[in-house]
Parts: sequence; structure tokens; C-alpha cells
Amino acid sequence: MTCTRVRAQLSSYLDGDLSPAASGALSAHLETCPACARHLESLRAALGMLADLPRISPSEGIAARVFDRLEVETRGPGLAMVFRSFGARRPLIFPSLVTAGLLVVTVLLGSVALDRAWRSLDEPLPPVAGAWGATTPASGTEANPLFPSADVGLPRARPGGPVAQDILAQMGEGTLFLETVVARDGSVSAVTLLTGDRLFAQPVVDALRRQKFEPVRLRGRPVAVSVYRLFSRMDVRSPMT
Amino acid sequence: MATGEMSLRSAEAVAGNAPDRVLVERCQKGDPQAFARLVGLHEGMVFNLAARLIGDAEEAKDVAQDVFLQVYRTLGRFEGRSSLKTWIYRIVVNQCHNRHRFWRRRKKDCSRPLDELTPADQARLVAGDRGQPSPYDEVRRRERSGRVQAALLSLGFDHRAILLLREVEELSCETIAATLGIPEGTVKSRLARAREALRVRLLACLEEGDRA
Repeated sequence: MTCTRVRAQLSSYLDGDLSPAASGALSAHLETCPACARHLESLRAALGMLADLPRISPSEGIAARVFDRLEVETRGPGLAMVFRSFGARRPLIFPSLVTAGLLVVTVLLGSVALDRAWRSLDEPLPPVAGAWGATTPASGTEANPLFPSADVGLPRARPGGPVAQDILAQMGEGTLFLETVVARDGSVSAVTLLTGDRLFAQPVVDALRRQKFEPVRLRGRPVAVSVYRLFSRMDVRSPMT
Repeated sequence: MATGEMSLRSAEAVAGNAPDRVLVERCQKGDPQAFARLVGLHEGMVFNLAARLIGDAEEAKDVAQDVFLQVYRTLGRFEGRSSLKTWIYRIVVNQCHNRHRFWRRRKKDCSRPLDELTPADQARLVAGDRGQPSPYDEVRRRERSGRVQAALLSLGFDHRAILLLREVEELSCETIAATLGIPEGTVKSRLARAREALRVRLLACLEEGDRA
């Protein structure tokens, strides 16, 4: 019997699976071959070490976790949540339900807030009640225009309309003080003569009404702006020499 | 059949399985206390085998849960042709194999040295009937266990499973064949190769032991 053949049969030899004849032959070989005997000893020792491994117990009862999962699967978490007594143990799905609920509420609130923000950009501001109950038109509309300030710039005239030189050419001598209301679309909605000769002012007023401006915006929202202008014309004569 | 219960040998349904049969019948009738008893009877075996096969106590807890859930769901199909324990062994090995493949596909090693468990877990390591070991013996025993576990994890899954079923759970080759669903001859040849592979991996450890 060769050593290779003996070593191939050592596992069966240990289990007692060999026939008496084969087992006898193997035992005889082991008595005469120290290398194979050592091989068998090391195999026995290795298997002994494996068998001696300590048994590990679960750190907590598995049954409780199995029952929690079974309950969730069979009854569904929703009903289990509603109809359980307050002191009852909660299945593991509870924390994730809370998180999911908070997420849904956050998304809903966020979408409502965004919707309102968009609406406020498109719609004019609501009218405000005055001191005696009379309603004041919404700020920034043609009926209640804003004054130019750090937030509201001066309206810029669009090219093509009458320019200052044309307007000045229309007026005669004197000084005109006018209020121009530039509407939200950039057109001139009203021109009011505050000071000056009405007769002289009429051509200027007509020219101003034809002017077009770039719409003025406040925080992205187009607003009507009231602009005060002083027109004065004087003839400058060359000095006498 | 998913659990392969039909393939188990009828020879295993011995008289000793009578309490199992009563328990199974009660479980099949929907008795929760009976199922709790079934889990309590087998959870130690299921957890220990899973922990040794996977090499991670946390994963083993999940496997143990999955095993009992599968037992609960498929108990209606259990016909008592094999012992309940053998049937559960098969489910444990299959579940561990699935998990092993899952981690291997992600090229990750889910094992964690079992001796690096939390102190609470270590306190639960059942020392067997050695009485109170000295601190030195305890350290050596732990070191040996770690090396054996490492050697075990370095083997292929099939070799690891067959070694644990034979040497730790002390199942016969016939029962292992029924559990794994392979011929008995395959079990014996695979067992011989697995034993030799383990011996080679533990040679250094054995030589150190001889010197000590």
C-alpha cells in the first residue's frame, strides 16, 4: 500500500467506513510509516480543534424579532400601529414610518410655500385698507405708482420714442413741472402738469405720452413708477464783444 | 420543492421525532406558542451554524430570522419524512449560501472575526464543560478558536458547510447527503478533501501546540 493511497483513505478510516481488510492493511502501514502516522495524528488534531470550537449563542432572543416581522407581514404595519395599545412593543418598521411621514409633510409644505411664492410674483399686491375704511390701490400699480428709490430705479426710455431734444423743441419759453406715470408694461399711463402754462405744456404732454420705457421691476415684479420732471428752456445768447 | 424536504430519506423519521411531529402539527394549526417553542428549541443551533458558516454574528442573526420565517411559511408543506432538525439544517445552509453569494458578487467579505465580538457577545460564548479556565487558558483558547475560524473561512463554502455539519453538528454522512441534497458518495469524497484542506491550514497552529 503506497503512502498516497493511505492518505487518501484516512478520512474514511476515521469514520470507520473501510472494509475490515482495507482497514487492517491501512493500520499495518501506519505502524511501519511514521510520516503517515504523523499525518493521521495531525488530521485528528485539526478535526478535534474544529469540534472544540465554542458554541455561540445569539445575544438576544431571535423569537421576538421573528414574531415582529411575522406580524408586520400578516397584519400590515398601518393597522398594527393604530390598534395596538400604547405600551405594546413596536415592530422595527416604526422608525422608518416616522421618517417617511416627516419626509412627506416636508415635501407638501415646501410645495405649498413655493406655489405661494410664484403666485405673489404674478399677481398685484392686494389693496390696503386706509385709515377711514377707504381702500388704497395696491402699491406699484398705475393707480398707486412707486417713486424711484434705491430699490426702484428710474425707467429707461426705449429707443425710437421722442427724446428730450424733441420734447424741448415743442415747448416755448418758461418752466414746466410734470409728473409722468410709467405703467407696468413700460407705456406712459398718465402725464400731469404740476406747474407751468397749460397752453405751452400741451405739446410737451402729448410728446411725453408717446414715450416708451423699459418696464421697471421690484424684486422681479413689474411695477408702475411715478417720475417727476422739470423742463426749463432758456435762450443762451453769446456774450457781447 | 423549495426546501427539499421530499428528498430527505424516510429513514430519518425515527421514533425520536415524535415530539417534533406534535410540535409541527400544533404550528400547522396556527398555535403561536408552539411556534415560539420551535424557535426556542432550534435558535441556538441555527445561530451557531450560521455564525460559523458566515463568520459574522450580526449577519448570523439576520440569517436566523430569515430561516425561521421560511420555516413558518413552509411548515404547511412539511410532511415529517425527515426530522425537523434536518429540515432546518438544510434551510440554514441554503440561506447562508445565498448570503455568501450575495457578498461575493459585491466582492466584499462580510466576515468579522468572531472573537472580536462585543464583550456582551463574548460573555455568551459557551465554554462547554471545562469549568472555570485560567485567564491564560482563556486567552489561548480564544486565539485557537480565532485561528480555526479563520482556517474555516479560508475554505470554500461547500467544504465549510460539510465540515461543520459533520464535525460540529455531528451529523452522519447519510443525513448530510439528505440535508445538502447530494449523493452520499459525494459527501464522503468532499469531506475527505475538506478535512485535508483544514489540516493543511492548521498545520502551523498544530506545530505550535506541540512545541508548547
